Amino acid sequence: MSGPDGNKSSHTELSSQVFFDLVDSVIADVASECHRVARLGLDRDLEVVEEELRFSVEARAKVADPSNNLETNTKFVVDIFGQTHPPVASEVFNCMNCGRQIVAGRFAPHLEKCMGKGRKARAKATRSTTAAAQNRNSRRSPNPRYSAYPNSVSENQLASGSPGVACEDCTVRENVKGG
Amino acid sequence: MKHSVNRPPTPDKDDAAEGFEKDEVTLREIINVKLVESGEKENLMELVRDRLVECGWKDEMRIACREHVKKKGRKDVTVDELIRVITPKGRASVPDSVKAELLNRIQNFIVSAALCV
Repeated sequence: MSGPDGNKSSHTELSSQVFFDLVDSVIADVASECHRVARLGLDRDLEVVEEELRFSVEARAKVADPSNNLETNTKFVVDIFGQTHPPVASEVFNCMNCGRQIVAGRFAPHLEKCMGKGRKARAKATRSTTAAAQNRNSRRSPNPRYSAYPNSVSENQLASGSPGVACEDCTVRENVKGG
Repeated sequence: MKHSVNRPPTPDKDDAAEGFEKDEVTLREIINVKLVESGEKENLMELVRDRLVECGWKDEMRIACREHVKKKGRKDVTVDELIRVITPKGRASVPDSVKAELLNRIQNFIVSAALCV
């Protein structure tokens, strides 16, 4: 066997080689990382990075402004295709009940009035159609609010010629009952 | 006679000098294998990385890479090129304390490995 010195020198050389192998691995890591950063443009020159930052800030400002205006003015947002959000139904067609031209977005409220489903619509109906059935319906309904004007009118019609004090009493009673 | 019987003689016995070199390479390989198997290589790698980051060596290497990238242009750079550029500088600029610590540890390992063999 060789002496301890011989062993040491070969050991030293061997360990140097091993050590430099390790260092080479780390170097390869660093190089690979820098290469990736360089190719992806992640970490560029300070000047370039600042310039890009400025550009992106300007671009953001430009994008932000028009949409802000739109939102405050028109209550909807326009996207990149020109579509509005929320979507506005703007088609116009004829109502099958009354035959008038209606905007699609306003069709439901129109139908309420048109077909007599809402309370105001019903009030109109009592005036125009036969009084009796409509009046009875409106009197029996629990809603006290429309007891005033329409009921006084209907009371007049019911009484058929006894207006004045009697009717007023009736309306007052109606109001109390309803209240 | 089958062909397998007529295989040529193994070349190992031919040249003594070649054999000596091969012994060295084989020894290095043996140590490498022992390092990996025992997990010591992982420990050493981690130690080297930590030390080189602490002392700022890694940052110096990264700056050197960026310089080279600036010179060559972002799109033309290859990993091999970067390695080629920074290896000599990297090997030379390892701090002595780090080198000493690592060499010590490796030598201890080799001695203990040699004892086990």
